[in-house]
Amino acid sequence: MASRGVAGRGIDWVNVVLGAFVVLFFIFMLAPILVVVVVSFTSAGYVTFPVPGWSLKWFGHIFAYQPFVDALIVSIEVAIGATVLSCLLGVPACLYLARSRAAWASAVMTFLLSPLSMPMIVIGFASLFFLSWLGIGVSFNALLITHTIVCLPYVIRTSAGVYAGLPPAYEEAAAILGANPLKVFWHVTLPLIRPGIMAGSLFSFLTSFDNLPISYFFGSARTNTLPVVMLSYMENQFDPSIAALSTLQLVMAVAALIVVDRIYGIDKMTVAA
Amino acid sequence: MTIMKRRTFLGAGAALGAGLMTGTLPRFASAKAGNEITVTAFGGVWETAVRQCFCDPFEAKTKAKANIALGGPPQWLAQVQASPNDPPIDMLIMTPDLALIAANAGLVDDFTVDKLPNLAKIPKELTDSVKGKGTLLDYGVGGITFNKSKVKNPPKSFAEFVDRVSKGEFVASVPSIAYAVTPIMLIWAMAKALGGGVNDVDPFFKAMAKMKKNLVFWGGPNDFFNHLSSGEAELGIYFDGRTWNHFDSGATWIDFINPSEGGSLNGVAIQKPKNANPLAWPYLNEMLDAKNQEKFAEILSYGVTNVDVVYSEKLKPRITPWQKTVFPPYEEIAKVRNDWVDRWNREIGR
Repeated sequence: MASRGVAGRGIDWVNVVLGAFVVLFFIFMLAPILVVVVVSFTSAGYVTFPVPGWSLKWFGHIFAYQPFVDALIVSIEVAIGATVLSCLLGVPACLYLARSRAAWASAVMTFLLSPLSMPMIVIGFASLFFLSWLGIGVSFNALLITHTIVCLPYVIRTSAGVYAGLPPAYEEAAAILGANPLKVFWHVTLPLIRPGIMAGSLFSFLTSFDNLPISYFFGSARTNTLPVVMLSYMENQFDPSIAALSTLQLVMAVAALIVVDRIYGIDKMTVAA
Repeated sequence: MTIMKRRTFLGAGAALGAGLMTGTLPRFASAKAGNEITVTAFGGVWETAVRQCFCDPFEAKTKAKANIALGGPPQWLAQVQASPNDPPIDMLIMTPDLALIAANAGLVDDFTVDKLPNLAKIPKELTDSVKGKGTLLDYGVGGITFNKSKVKNPPKSFAEFVDRVSKGEFVASVPSIAYAVTPIMLIWAMAKALGGGVNDVDPFFKAMAKMKKNLVFWGGPNDFFNHLSSGEAELGIYFDGRTWNHFDSGATWIDFINPSEGGSLNGVAIQKPKNANPLAWPYLNEMLDAKNQEKFAEILSYGVTNVDVVYSEKLKPRITPWQKTVFPPYEEIAKVRNDWVDRWNREIGR
């Protein structure tokens, strides 16, 4: 490659420009996050940048304000619940549909993935009326059902992607050697599609945890999630608590990724996704 | 890197699921109980004020419990619309336009003195503004907020505001059309101040065309404050109560003027959904109590509506009596609102 220089052959301008672009891109992406992190350590009673002094008091305020704590617990419960339900429903569905060549299978798969293409606020609004009509109404159950609807496509998409790429010969060999379908699934299929399930679960958890448009319609005294409480707080309060809360969420997300990487390996999941 | 074994993976999943079910089982139970009501509040200091000023006296008197649902009026209205026979919340905090929608849809009960003795102390005009199916609890005034370290001689009226911003004396921050109250606090209020009204908003759009080069737009209250604190704008159209909240938070460079033509009154309405728990009545009555409202105003720096309320020395200069504001014709505005939004998008576009 003529344009790629080596030491002693002058400046490689292509690499310099590409490197500068990457640096600028990262600055563009990370600078707003950095500002939020910095503001969360301000000593001022309002959001301002640069900060006039440093303090940890806004982190203390998060835990002193009970609705934040309650909503954080609800958010974690809903995110875990929706992820578990998505796996319980999504994995069997993908095993059945991924290798089918029938036209209806493709239609069903498209249907299961359709929440991805619908505005979440429409799903939330429609679900509120539908579930209320069913008598479930504004409740934790309703929140869990609706979150599962939007989380399901992530598990199906990643699991089906992995499963469709596996040679059927592995399962056939196990069956020929006498394994019943449950054993084939247990000892062969599940270990092989695990990267897809893990990747889908991670996307599912994060999608549910950050979700506002759906949770908004199901918020009540006992089922408000963190994004709903944050929105309501931001509209009427101007202190840097939200910046501190965002920093805390960021730390939690990074910590979760590190833990997942340690026990499983992010590289496997990104390949699956 | 530790490789997770299948048994560990499945075991962890099962444990997680079991833990989740155990932890959330209480949530599956209905939140409704005879001696509990669900009341609404905005987040932050609003929630604190509602808890201290209304929930505590209600619980002390009735021995019942008031659970607070945080959120916003569109969310609560949708929840009542979805379940009118068994509403999940027992009292509503609404913007007047949404309160009228609820009233017109027959979703809320009439407010009468026999149910709410303290209603007798609320000016009739405020109850009539939501057709008697609710009343106003508090109000803010949409006027001119400015950075007094940069603006020594602020405009005293909307007309002067338009004139001086047009000339480039200031950069002004005004609400964008994305903000729900913009049609009232900006379009209608400025049109009226400049000689127009609900049926003639040309003066407003002409003024905006003149000021165009010296305007920035805010989509939410925090944007406005950021515009002023960063120096991007020197003044703008904003609310009195929020201005004083900023002041009390340490931004002592901020100040507010009610324009001489009168800023728009932006009320907060309270209502009771039909079929809600009757315990909501004593709670609503606490909300209309003079002493409770005094305490509420002290925390939020907004005007309240009981005529017996006596503001503290700190609040007196901050609160604009509602009679010195202009009362928006919410219902008429609702009819032309879409046309205004359409015209805004075509002529202003931000």
